[in-house]
Amino acid sequence: MSHAPQTVSRAPVWFVPTSVAVAVLSIMLAVFIGVVDIPPADILAALQGHGSAEAKSIILDIRLPRILTGMLAGIHFAVAGLILQMITRNPLADPSIMGVSQGATLAVSLFLLLTVYIDNPGSNTLAELPIAWLPGVGAVGGLAAGAVIYLLAFRQNLGPLRITICGIAVGAVLHAVAIGLIAGWGSARIEILLEWLSGSLYARSWRHVMFLLPFTVVGLSLLPLLRRSLDLLRFDAPVARSFGLGYRFHFSLALALSCSLAASAVGVVGPIIFVGLIVPHLARLLAGRRFTLVLPLTITLGIVVVTLGDLAGRVLGQAEEVPIGVITAIFGVPVLIALLRRVP
Amino acid sequence: MSLSCSGLSVTYGARKALTNFNLAVAPGEVRALIGPNGSGKSTALQALAGLIRPDEGRADIDGAPIAVMSRRDIARRLAFLPQQPSAPDEMTVGQLVRQGRFAHVGLFRSYRPEDEAAIAWALESTGLSDFAERGLNELSGGERQRAWISAALAQEAQTLLLDEPTSFLDIGYQIEVLDLVHRLSRDRGVSIVMAIHDLNQAMSICDRISLLNHGMLAFDGEPRDLAATGLIEEVFRVKGQFVQIAPHAPPHFDVELARWTSPPS
Ligand SMILES: Nc1ncnc2c1ncn2[C@@H]1O[C@H](COP(=O)(O)OP(=O)(O)OP(=O)(O)O)[C@@H](O)[C@H]1O
Ligand SMILES: [Mg+2]
Repeated sequence: MSHAPQTVSRAPVWFVPTSVAVAVLSIMLAVFIGVVDIPPADILAALQGHGSAEAKSIILDIRLPRILTGMLAGIHFAVAGLILQMITRNPLADPSIMGVSQGATLAVSLFLLLTVYIDNPGSNTLAELPIAWLPGVGAVGGLAAGAVIYLLAFRQNLGPLRITICGIAVGAVLHAVAIGLIAGWGSARIEILLEWLSGSLYARSWRHVMFLLPFTVVGLSLLPLLRRSLDLLRFDAPVARSFGLGYRFHFSLALALSCSLAASAVGVVGPIIFVGLIVPHLARLLAGRRFTLVLPLTITLGIVVVTLGDLAGRVLGQAEEVPIGVITAIFGVPVLIALLRRVP
Repeated sequence: MSLSCSGLSVTYGARKALTNFNLAVAPGEVRALIGPNGSGKSTALQALAGLIRPDEGRADIDGAPIAVMSRRDIARRLAFLPQQPSAPDEMTVGQLVRQGRFAHVGLFRSYRPEDEAAIAWALESTGLSDFAERGLNELSGGERQRAWISAALAQEAQTLLLDEPTSFLDIGYQIEVLDLVHRLSRDRGVSIVMAIHDLNQAMSICDRISLLNHGMLAFDGEPRDLAATGLIEEVFRVKGQFVQIAPHAPPHFDVELARWTSPPS
């Protein structure tokens, strides 16, 4: 027997540290730059728990939780998109177009509508809005939509392409219902809904971080266990099965993970579109054949894109900040077109 | 018997693709599966591999029913090469062949030296040792075909189902694959069932031959006996005859082309 050939391309050692460094750098930028100018020395002091009360409050209560929420949401959307693209073998798969976001939107709209009448009929006091419930409600709505798509798909034994189409169709219906609801309703709460719909990190607090964190931890720690099944799910079902994979079980597991990540993030920050679509493409472009790099790059790039996107929105808009969802939509389109030209 | 099935019937919607199919393959036997396009060869192989659930009948591997075995259990005993498999775009030959070890390493175990050795052997046997780093989309049709054969070999299963393994290969590699099949069966005792269109190659490589026509088994036996039946002319709707070229070789089917018998007018 001759020497075993090198069947896995070795990744250059500097690749992952560099992407981590870029992620850390973008987080630091986001901490140090803001609408309120705070001297770097004060920021450093605040981070260590000293300094003026104002700086501490801005950094620790506003900027930091907002950045962390964005980071986690970025990871969720990017990883969810990557998994979805792998298992549906559709390069355009993205939780924000495949029903999960729309399910969350409908759930949140319904929830706001119902609470108007249940909590305090006749009044429209904004102060009493049950905003604290939105992440949970959105996440449940997103997961429910995911479950509907899954059931539809497997009842009919549909292939991955059909699942994508099914997801888009279910998403379109849910979206239409939600929009109809909003249009026919017109209460003062529409502002909250619109803010949520545009995908925003405005006023996200530690509560939101704590909501997302369990999903992130569980989701990311499941990924190493799914590594090989994800590799095999990229083949046609008969091929994956003949290599020895219990296709349906592993497909369901991966889909459930992807939906949970996406739904929890949508619940907290609203549908930030394109992150789940573009970040995995960027990661693949950078990684080339070094498959092992795709996942770490997806995670770090997810952080970078959302953090910098939100920073741009804060700085560009000044007092009237531009929501991150708008930023990703505007910058996402040219990036997407550029990527599509490079991908055969 | 290392692989057998009895009374297998498969329908796609309303179309009956396979009717009451029987097969018994002994350890180390090479079995050719022939028949016209659409006669049910691929369907039979997929049912044998447990990839489609038959309406009736059962398939067994090493005496155990395939229907109740886990996919990994099946994959450790049986490797299947589909007719026209497709792989993810950016995958390399080496990465594809590596997937063949999944049945052994599973979800968590790391690749051991014996896994790397099996991968190296599989690449070497198909002449692809120097191609491991090449992307599958940078290969010719025949090279890609060999990469898939290689992935099936890496599985190191004692039963090998090949759906037209030679169809995209030049004559040199066709013979190489047939030789490989022969060696696997004789040196390692691997049982091989192979759908193949070249009648003469089928006759010369196999121990036994199964002929399918409209989803039904028209013949099951030794190549020499098939030559004596006249079924080939009937099933494939051609004129021709079997001729004995060499004393110990199986008979060679010599097909008659219409343009040889009717001169231009
Ligand atoms: N997925 C499918 N759905 C519906 N009908 C199918 C399907 N696959 C095959 N068939 C039909 O079943 C019959 C048998 O097909 P099969 O693929 O088994 O033929 P085959 O002998 O392998 O042909 P070939 O030599 O062209 O590969 C054909 O009539 C075919 O049209
Ligand atoms: Mg076929």
